[in-house]
Amino acid sequence: MKTTWIIASALTLASSLAYAEEKGISPATLSKVTTVCQNCHGPRGDSVSATFPRLNGQQAEYVEAQLKNFREHSRSDPHAMAYMWGMAAQLDDALVADLAKYYATQKPTMPQTGGALAAQGKAIFTNGVEAHGIPPCAACHGDHGEGAKDVPRIAGQHGDYLKRQLEDFRSLLRENQVMHANTKDMTDTEIEAIVSYLAND
Amino acid sequence: MIANRATFSARSILGFSAILAALAAPGAANAVPSYARQTGLACEACHTVFPQLTPFGRAFKASGYTLFNTRKVQDINALKQSTLSLSDLPPISLMAIASTSHENTANDSQSSKNSTDFPQQLSIFYAGRIADNVGAYIQATYDDQSGTFGMDNTDIRFADVFDYDGHNVVYGLSLNNNPTVQDLWNSTPAWGQPFLNSPALQSPAAGAQIEGALAQVVAGLSAYTYIDQSFYLEAGVYRSALQGASVASNGNINNNVIAGVAPYWRFAYENDWGPNSWEIGTFGLDTPLANPTTPAGNAINVSLQNPPTDRFLDLGIDSQYQYIDDTSQLTVTARWTHEKQHLDASAAAGFADNPSDTLDFENLVGSYYWHRRFGATIGFFNLSGSTDATYFGSANGKPNSSWANFEIDYVPWLNVKLGLQYTAYFKFDGATTNYDGAGRNASDNNMLFGYLWVAF
Repeated sequence: MKTTWIIASALTLASSLAYAEEKGISPATLSKVTTVCQNCHGPRGDSVSATFPRLNGQQAEYVEAQLKNFREHSRSDPHAMAYMWGMAAQLDDALVADLAKYYATQKPTMPQTGGALAAQGKAIFTNGVEAHGIPPCAACHGDHGEGAKDVPRIAGQHGDYLKRQLEDFRSLLRENQVMHANTKDMTDTEIEAIVSYLAND
Repeated sequence: MIANRATFSARSILGFSAILAALAAPGAANAVPSYARQTGLACEACHTVFPQLTPFGRAFKASGYTLFNTRKVQDINALKQSTLSLSDLPPISLMAIASTSHENTANDSQSSKNSTDFPQQLSIFYAGRIADNVGAYIQATYDDQSGTFGMDNTDIRFADVFDYDGHNVVYGLSLNNNPTVQDLWNSTPAWGQPFLNSPALQSPAAGAQIEGALAQVVAGLSAYTYIDQSFYLEAGVYRSALQGASVASNGNINNNVIAGVAPYWRFAYENDWGPNSWEIGTFGLDTPLANPTTPAGNAINVSLQNPPTDRFLDLGIDSQYQYIDDTSQLTVTARWTHEKQHLDASAAAGFADNPSDTLDFENLVGSYYWHRRFGATIGFFNLSGSTDATYFGSANGKPNSSWANFEIDYVPWLNVKLGLQYTAYFKFDGATTNYDGAGRNASDNNMLFGYLWVAF
C-alpha cells in the first residue's frame, strides 16, 4: 500500500514536472499553484466554490494585470481586499507572469448556456441593450466569451461570481470605469440573463 | 459547553486534582489574528465569524496552518535544500474574555447568584507556520476561576499537498491534546457551539469521554488526508498526558489514566455548491480508563501497575450545513454521540449498579450572522442514558439533562465580539424538579451571561 502510494506520488510529481517543463513553467510556479492557489481556485484553476473565480483558460494578460492590481492595492472590492491583497503581496513580476501563463494554458470550462433567461442573455451578449447603454459583451469579450488579452474570459465562470462582479461594477464597489459605464443602467434581470447564458454552475 | 463539560468532569472527581479542573476549564474555542498576519487574509477568509470556519478555513487548517505571505528568514545547505524558513515576526496572538453572569437561583445559601470575571480567560497563542510543512496552534490560558496559567488546546501539524490526476490531495499528521480539536468542522465536540459559557454555569454530571472529558489531559497522534476539500479520513491514538501530575512519578496514583492507547477515527464528506456547503461525518473514540472515577464522584485508587479499567466506546455522527455570502452567514450543526460504558472496574468496586451503561447526547445548533456584524444563535441539547443511581449519583438514578442556549452577538470589528447568552435547563441530572433530592430544580441553574471577547 505504502509502496503504491509512493509510486503514485512520484509518478504524479514526475508528470507534473514534465508538464511544467513542456509549457515553460518553473517548478516554483507549479509549487505555488499546488500549495497555495489551488486551495481556493481548485486543481488547475477549476474552482469548486463560487466565491473564487475559475482561472482555467483565463487570459494570461488579464490574470497578470489583476495579480499586480491586488499586489499594489489598486483593486479594492471586498473579496480582493480580504483574500487577494494578502495572497499577492509577495509575488514578484516573474512569478506573476508564470502563474498567468500556467492558468491560461489550462483547459477552460465551457458555459452551460441553459436556464430560462439564457435566450435573453444571448441577445444582450450579442447585440447589447441600447436603451440601457449596454454594448454587446461579445465586442470585447469575444464571440464565445473567451476574452482577449486583458479582457477576461467570462464564459464558463461561476454564475454567482459573474453576478457579483456585474453588481460590483454597477455600484463601483469594484472600480472599473469601462465596466461601470456598461453596467450602470443594467437591471437585475439583465444581469441574471447574461449570467444564465455564460455561466457554468 | 465543552469547557464546562471538562470542568464538570474534574469537579465530580473526588480526590482528583483540582489542577485538572483548572486546566480543563478554559477550553474555549478561538480564532487567531496571527494567522491573518501570516497569510495577509482577512478573518472572513477563514471564519464566518470567529471561531466558526468557512470552507477555506478548513483547507487552511488541513494544510497545517502553513499558508504564508510574509517575509521569511531563510537558509539552505550546500545541496540547496531548505534548512530554515522562519517568519520575520513570531505568530503570537493574545485573546481576552471578560464576562458577567447571573444565575436564576444561587447554588446554595452561601453563594451569590451574580459573578463577574475579568478576565474570564486570557490566552496567549503561538499560532502559525513553524517550517515549510509544519504549523501550530498552541494556546496557553490564564483562568480566573483557578488563578492558574496552563496549557489549553494545542494542535501541531505536519501537512503537505499534491495534485493527483487533477485531484487535490492534502495529507498530514496532527499532534494534539483534545480529541476532535484537530477536526475541520464545527459539528464535532471540541469546536462545537456554544463557544463560550459562563464559568459559573452548572453542567450535567454525566458526559461522554469524547465530549470534552479528555480535553488537555491527553496527547494524540493522528494521520489524515483531505481530498478535493471533500473527503476527509483520519485515524490516530490517544494516551494520557496529565497536567500537573505525572503518571510515571513515584507514588502517584492517578485517576482516569488511559490504559494503553485510545484509538480515534474520523470520516467526513463535504459537498460544496455555490455559497452552500454540507458535511456529514462519523467519529469515534475507544477509551480504556484505568482507575476510573464515576459521575457520582467515586474513584478507584489503586496501583497503576495493573489497574482495574472501565472502557468507554464513543460513536458519533455529525452534520453541518453552511450558507455563506456577503450578506448572510448561516451555519447549522447537528451531532449525536452514543457512548457504551463497560463498567467492569466500577461495578466490581461497588460504584455502579450495572456492568454496563449507555449515554446518548444530541445537539442541534443554528447560528445566523448578518454582514458578519449582528448574529443570533439557538441551540438545543439533550443527554440521556441508563438508570444507574450508584454510578450517575442522581436522585432518580438517571443522567438525563436537556437544555437550550440562546445568544445574540454584535461584532463591531471582526476580532471583537460582544455576546449576550441565556441557558435554560429543562431537565438536569435526571429530573426537572428536585433533581438533587434537596429541592433544587433544573431551572434554578438557568444562566444569563454577557461577555466581551477580543483577540489581537
